[in-house]
Amino acid sequence: MSEVGFETLRAPQLEGFGNFADVLRDEAFWDSLGFSLRFGTLTAVLEVALGLFLAVFLAPILQRHAWLLAILTLPMMVAPAMMGLMYRLVLHEFVGPVPHYLLAWFGTSPAFLAPGNVFWTVVVIEVLQWTPFTLLLFHLAYGSISGEIREAARMDGAKGWWMFRRVEFPMMLPTFGVALAIRFIDGVRVFDNIYVLTGAGAGGSTMSLPIYIYTSFFRGGNIGAALAASVLFALASFLILALAWRFAQRRPA
Amino acid sequence: MLRLIAGLETATAGRIEIDGRDVTRFEPVDRRLAMVFQSYALYPHMTVRGNMAFALETAGSPRAEIDRRVREAARVLKLEGLLDRRPAQLSGGQRQRVAIGRAIVREPVAFLFDEPLSNLDAALRIETRQEIARLHQQLGATTIYVTHDQVEAMTLADKIVVLKDGRVMQAGAPMELYLEPANEFVAGFLGSPSMNFLDVEVRDVRDGRATVANAGLAPVEVRTRGAQPTPGSRARLGVRPQNLTVLEDVTLPPGAGLLRGTVELSERLGSETVVDVVLPDRSRIVATLSRDAVFLPGQDVTLTFIPEQAHLFVR
Repeated sequence: MSEVGFETLRAPQLEGFGNFADVLRDEAFWDSLGFSLRFGTLTAVLEVALGLFLAVFLAPILQRHAWLLAILTLPMMVAPAMMGLMYRLVLHEFVGPVPHYLLAWFGTSPAFLAPGNVFWTVVVIEVLQWTPFTLLLFHLAYGSISGEIREAARMDGAKGWWMFRRVEFPMMLPTFGVALAIRFIDGVRVFDNIYVLTGAGAGGSTMSLPIYIYTSFFRGGNIGAALAASVLFALASFLILALAWRFAQRRPA
Repeated sequence: MLRLIAGLETATAGRIEIDGRDVTRFEPVDRRLAMVFQSYALYPHMTVRGNMAFALETAGSPRAEIDRRVREAARVLKLEGLLDRRPAQLSGGQRQRVAIGRAIVREPVAFLFDEPLSNLDAALRIETRQEIARLHQQLGATTIYVTHDQVEAMTLADKIVVLKDGRVMQAGAPMELYLEPANEFVAGFLGSPSMNFLDVEVRDVRDGRATVANAGLAPVEVRTRGAQPTPGSRARLGVRPQNLTVLEDVTLPPGAGLLRGTVELSERLGSETVVDVVLPDRSRIVATLSRDAVFLPGQDVTLTFIPEQAHLFVR
């Protein structure tokens, strides 16, 4: 790689693997990688768990009123950047309605965007926006289990939790895996809603890997380091995805 | 109907009794019945063993007992080598046997079969039908078998109940229903090709016999069963294709029925010849004749039948 910033863009100077070494030595890189993995895993697990619960719990209602799905999946239509903007207003310390009412009713309001809380705030925001997606997947999977199989299970005496654990959930397992993988991928590469909401956060507390790359590119003007981080991100993603899909395929049909 | 008995649907009126026990409000599993579904409804994520063991696991039976019953069922159904396969790795006939096995291990008071053969191809259907007959003899358990196939009904049943729109049309032993159908529906359902029905005019009625005729049918005296027709009314005369013969073939017994018509289509099947005949009133009848009968379309033909084998149905 090469030593290049915006000033020297036209006259780059070869650097060998120096940029990679710099990036790997940069604590902020590891922090942002850690943030992305934690964020991706946590949101994926929460969204899948919540989506599955809602799909099964609301199945009787959703089967009769399909238009409810339209309302439930509406958040997916909002651009994540708009979402960030919205929460920036809603959670604003002085003018946001949420802190205002919490203060009015309970006399206290947490600082949602303070370094200690901001991770959970962005997790909740992401989960609220993308649970409808997993809900939709599980709704379809749940509905496609044939009625006769459920009846056969009823004849066999299965009901409630036992029916879900032994019959319905195993039949939805492929959907479960796919939902988890898609949401994890989406979570790891999170950028726009967080960037609009908090930037990198106080002390880099919400610096996801894409935000790290973005800031070192545009703010730091350190193009070489940004590219090195991108390449590392791509390699790591490839490894994780290769392992995930391999695992998914090994499971017998 | 089957779903009501099974307890999958709730009865709006009446009572369901099994062995004198009122089970109308019972959960399916508490009725101690086992059902074999049309689509088999096997659990795709479980092995054959898992499918058969599921009901017993649900009931919390001890492991040794589950194992014993599953192995016993597998032996009876010749599934021993397949216990660790999944349904997707089985043929249609094998899946069918697993579905039956799942019912057997529960040792139910009665089996319910919901058109179990309709998903199989013709050859396998006959084989599996005989398999079910064999199993039924072996197990000796009461079985309710729902089918639209009259051959299955005739061959498997000790007693047939013919239903139409939820009403019982007739109940009885298979041959009883075949020989003495109570109404047109039952008569048309059993037998292949199905019974011919002629619109006839009732000319005369006396002591259990009626004389009927129409444009193509010479007046003939037939037995009446049940409701007596009134002279001058219209009725339907049913004659099975197998009971029709060509006039030339036999010396005419006294009082035989005579039908005149034109051959429209003649199909030689090898073992027999099936002829479609159009009568003067434009109605169509089918006759199953001997294999040597040769007809050309358009040829006039006279068919005869023995009045005792005809069935008169009052409208």
